[in-house]
Amino acid sequence: MLTYEPDETVAHRLDPRSKLAVQMGFAVAALARISPRALLALSAVAAVALLAARVSLARALYAYRFALVVLAIAPVVSAVTLGSPWIDPAAAVTPALASYRVLLILLVSAAYVRSTPVRDSRAAIQRTVPGKAGQLLGTGVALVFRFLPVLLADVRTIREAVAARLGDERGPVERASRLGVLGLSRAFARADRLSLALQARCFSWNPTLPALAFSRLDAPVLALAAGLAVSPLL
Amino acid sequence: MATERNSVELVDADTVGLFARAALLAALMGAASYVSIPLPFSPVPVTLQVLVVYLAGLYLGPLWGGASIGLFLAAGAVGAPVFAEGKAGVGVLVGYTGGYLLGYLLGAVLVGLLVHRSLDRLRDPAETSLPVLVGSLVAALVLIYALGVVWFAHVQQVELAAAIGVAIVPFIPGDILKIVTTIAIAKRGVIDPV
Amino acid sequence: MIEFRSVSFAFDDVPVLEDVSLSIADGEFVVLAGANGSGKSTLLRHCNALLTPDEGEVLVDGVSAEADPVAARTSVGMVFQHPRDQFVAATIGADVAFGPENLGLERAEIDRRVASALDAVNLSGRETERIDALSGGEQARVAIAGALAMEPTHLVLDEPFTGLDEPARQSVLERLEDLAADGTGVVVATHDLRDVLALADRVIAMADGRLVVDEPSERALEALESISVRVPRSRSRC
Repeated sequence: MLTYEPDETVAHRLDPRSKLAVQMGFAVAALARISPRALLALSAVAAVALLAARVSLARALYAYRFALVVLAIAPVVSAVTLGSPWIDPAAAVTPALASYRVLLILLVSAAYVRSTPVRDSRAAIQRTVPGKAGQLLGTGVALVFRFLPVLLADVRTIREAVAARLGDERGPVERASRLGVLGLSRAFARADRLSLALQARCFSWNPTLPALAFSRLDAPVLALAAGLAVSPLL
Repeated sequence: MATERNSVELVDADTVGLFARAALLAALMGAASYVSIPLPFSPVPVTLQVLVVYLAGLYLGPLWGGASIGLFLAAGAVGAPVFAEGKAGVGVLVGYTGGYLLGYLLGAVLVGLLVHRSLDRLRDPAETSLPVLVGSLVAALVLIYALGVVWFAHVQQVELAAAIGVAIVPFIPGDILKIVTTIAIAKRGVIDPV
Repeated sequence: MIEFRSVSFAFDDVPVLEDVSLSIADGEFVVLAGANGSGKSTLLRHCNALLTPDEGEVLVDGVSAEADPVAARTSVGMVFQHPRDQFVAATIGADVAFGPENLGLERAEIDRRVASALDAVNLSGRETERIDALSGGEQARVAIAGALAMEPTHLVLDEPFTGLDEPARQSVLERLEDLAADGTGVVVATHDLRDVLALADRVIAMADGRLVVDEPSERALEALESISVRVPRSRSRC
């Protein structure tokens, strides 16, 4: 699985806001057109992103391996026709290019995922989204990262317990609803305890925000983001 | 020190309580992407994420249920491995699953609105009539399908019919099962709404 | 200084605290004993305005906790059972910084407090480690550090030993002993009195929402034995 890893790469040293801006610019550019020339240019950008974050192509592809199946199926389905000639390869060309651009978008986000710790993402959110919404969104995102492994462990123990007690003879509805009830009530019980702890530690609307500062390194990245974002107009 | 302390604006207790539940439900949504229930009559593995979308609307209402799915999307976008098959990243949000993910958020809001008919005053889902419950969940599923398939067809540049064949039909049995499961959970009435 | 003046409190019309008066001085090490449902948690949550009295009043350093909850929560740090559910961040440093950040302190001051709080629980220099990779005892100590980073005069712990194995329990006890030696007031609510009594200056016990024992620790054992025969009425919440 691809997640954040501490390192000293160029991407690690960038401000998270620049990295988010590039991804958005990239998505805008890639969704706007799928000409082979545009895709070639975008491939170069994606390759630079992966290099900058030191993510090997094989690793990024492996992380999105299930997506690759869907990306491969879409052109195949389009090539199939309901009558003669049954297979029309020409109809698969555009969907294939479209699949390729989605793959590029995924690869660029792999670079962000490996190079950005939660703390930076939280800071970027709280410094970009104004007011109370930004405060809750930033803290909430950090909480999702914190509690995902805890709830995964909960779900695992609940499934084991349900399997031990009910075996496989009960239907899927029975098993899924037990899992749902127990999973949600445990999550809410944890939330109620978390709520007390947050209050005891003075959870406030106006905390000191995590430090973030653009450096000279960010200037070309922001320029690239802007260029990508306006490229559909060119 | 005194002046410093006076400037601290505490988040009120009710908001903290709802916020903590929304954050934990968002994490549960992430955990659900790792749970697939194999169905004998369906070729695709079925994760329980849509089930959690329904629960968000039912137990947190339109506002905080929607906020919860919003937290899930934001956390996934910045790298929490919470999307299907442990994926993460902005790319997943704008890629071919983007419509479904937006549908999850709006679906939770829709279930919340239809069941509670209020933004913040929640009623007990166990006391909601069966037709309302079924209607709300089906409406949310239709919304999720519609957004999902239209975006899929657009991004992948395939015909709508092909998109429906790839991105909806295989999931219908599992999604019906999740609606039945959600109703079973709601009617048991063992989870206290806020 | 934490003062309870004739505090009464009910949950859904069930009385949980009945006319409790109590005063805890700075630097005092107090053990709060009592069966489950006796009202211990409810009492503690009044110290920092997580709950507010139906009748009576709670003062922290002479100021009503209800009127100034920020001051009360800064002076009285609180740690609950289940440390796993009290963390707000995935790494140690980010979690311990949460309290001081909420107080709006300068970043340099926050970093200093995080370092000093981690030092106090023997976790110096481990800011970047992931919390879910820690043992139960280490997690309990991170939770304590999170409260200490507020630089409280009192540290209040509600059943801090639940779920801890013996070495972890000992490591927490040792940290509490050090904190008390450095002048922090410590209040520990527990039904597991092993070794804690030796550290305490004073023992308070509750039964059915009332204070039934309040003795210096050397005289407490006898008094506790005299109440342990009582069967507490069952309560749904405390």
